[in-house]
Amino acid sequence: MAFYTIFIPPGVSDADRKRILALGDPPELASTSSERDLLRSAGFVKIEEADETQEYLRISRGYYEGRERHAAELRKLEGAQAFAEGQENRRTRIGFIEAGLQRRSLFVAARP
Amino acid sequence: MNDAERSRSQDNSRAKFEGCYRAPVGTPRDAIQREVFGANTGVNGYTTIAQADGLAKRLGLGPGKRLLDVGAGEGWPGLYLARTTGCEVVATDVPVPGMRTALARAREQELLSRVDCIAASGTHLPFRAQAFDAAVHTDVLC
Repeated sequence: MAFYTIFIPPGVSDADRKRILALGDPPELASTSSERDLLRSAGFVKIEEADETQEYLRISRGYYEGRERHAAELRKLEGAQAFAEGQENRRTRIGFIEAGLQRRSLFVAARP
Repeated sequence: MNDAERSRSQDNSRAKFEGCYRAPVGTPRDAIQREVFGANTGVNGYTTIAQADGLAKRLGLGPGKRLLDVGAGEGWPGLYLARTTGCEVVATDVPVPGMRTALARAREQELLSRVDCIAASGTHLPFRAQAFDAAVHTDVLC
């Protein structure tokens, strides 16, 4: 099995977790169990992790900037308020990633 | 998290993504994807083409292999992996509009002999054990 996942890394304070979840992310993201521990407890072995946060940050910035370039069309499609709120949400999330409060990794694991 | 909270969370995620997948396909969405990913092959989310290629390599995908793509949305990266590696793919996700789009894309790309799209939650997959050689999911919520 191989999967990419976005998560709040260990050591992030409860206050910062609440700020992240306030963006509308699912409460599962608040889990304090590490992906490694979850995989291990599910019986997976040969667990590997590769940090892909920099690429996640690049793509997040790309979406934000791309949406800015197409703002006029998107405001018509989504409505001005929804567009503004979405962009604010994306800007905040980029700040969280830059601050190390959100990460994205590739996990690879095998069944015994 | 208890069962009621989990169920509420899944309902919220489903509603959010059903809205996204009902959005018109075409510009500007496709244009932004092209700008961000350098191509428009049904890419969405945060998984790049290079990362999808990496999944194929790590999992040893190829003809005769059967891959489960959980939370496939509109078919990314499952359809791409079926096309580039020759493997069989079963794509699953909860929002039905996304699965419909994935199925339409599979038809357009002449992949229907090797691709199935099934609306199902990752927490209750309707498959027997050992049905797949490999599984992927990319930033899946339910």
